[in-house]
Amino acid sequence: MTALESVATYLPSGRVPIEDLAGQLELTPMQVKLFRRYHRLAEVRREPDGTLLDLLLAAVANLDGLRGREHEIRYVLHARTFPVVVPYPVNPVHALCRILGLDHAVAFAVTHHACATGLLALDVAGRLLAHDGDGLALVLAGEKTFTRDAQLVPETSVFGEGASACLVRHAGPRDRLLAYAAHVRGEFDDELSDDPSAYQREYHSSLADVILDAAAQAHTGLGEVQLILPHNVNVVAWQRLCRRIGYPISQVLLDNVPVAGHVFCADAFLNYQTARERGLLRPGDRYIVAAAGAGRGATFSAMVFEH
Amino acid sequence: MEPSPTIHKGTIVDSIRVLLPRVLRRDVPAAGEHTKLMEDLGLSSSTTLELMLELEESLDIQIDVEDIDQDDFATVGTLAEFVAGHLLPAE
Repeated sequence: MTALESVATYLPSGRVPIEDLAGQLELTPMQVKLFRRYHRLAEVRREPDGTLLDLLLAAVANLDGLRGREHEIRYVLHARTFPVVVPYPVNPVHALCRILGLDHAVAFAVTHHACATGLLALDVAGRLLAHDGDGLALVLAGEKTFTRDAQLVPETSVFGEGASACLVRHAGPRDRLLAYAAHVRGEFDDELSDDPSAYQREYHSSLADVILDAAAQAHTGLGEVQLILPHNVNVVAWQRLCRRIGYPISQVLLDNVPVAGHVFCADAFLNYQTARERGLLRPGDRYIVAAAGAGRGATFSAMVFEH
Repeated sequence: MEPSPTIHKGTIVDSIRVLLPRVLRRDVPAAGEHTKLMEDLGLSSSTTLELMLELEESLDIQIDVEDIDQDDFATVGTLAEFVAGHLLPAE
């Protein structure tokens, strides 16, 4: 059973209020107001002089569990919202492996579930390790806001920079993955769909369905779920989702929405880190990680873990 | 605590009619209480929230959106009803 052994994150210190992004993102004053007032987005982190490699290395530097165990790493996975995150021929994952002495590991990117790819990467890592029988995988997430697509989710959110790094093993005492549900919705793919608003219309019911699917697979009622670790697109989406599934919004960890925005596939791990820091997870607690991917590779995903 | 202000639903419907072209950035054929926001007018849940911000400015009110649900986005009338029932006290 896949287990999340340790998690580390990194957020750059540069804070950019969303008002400062309005010109660059062509947002009207009313759209900015909507983001701040209803979506509760306030600022994002940026590291203008840093590369993607810098972001990923900074997250790994905080991953104490890796120190001295580099030889145990069999796989290095980079979970990406966007298939292309750097200009060719830059390869930050291979560069990271060289710098950290992980050349022996098989390193690759995982894509095509958009912002739900972080969960896919955990699942892939666990499956590969199950086949091998032992060893560890290093799962990375985080991207640069280097194109307009990677800066704004139209009408929904603003991307921020940051990164996460976690150690995954096939089996272990914590945090045990109990269930994974991924609903790939190709009909919403923005390069194929002839109705771009369909994703938004179906968003709440689709995310609710996948959360309930994962909970059912884990034989866990929502009443037994201590916490939901959401994606950080905005607050209003979670308010509506919670009403739909009858789950208390106070148990959805939304603290990072105003201070970090939507940090690509790293949201789940940033929120996990915050939950640990705030002492919100006790041994045996079950929690759900939920993510929705829009655009290329529209996917709704949820995982149930036991801490 | 200040009591919640009251505004007649009809006033809100009238304001929505006036504000729709601004939010949609195009001319809008005469909309009535039963006009469907998404199917008839092409509003998304996000542009509907933008419409509510415009309503706040034009009517000098504050709306509590925490309880808003898909059903409230159905028509001009259901949205006006939601707004009338979810006014926050003036700060």
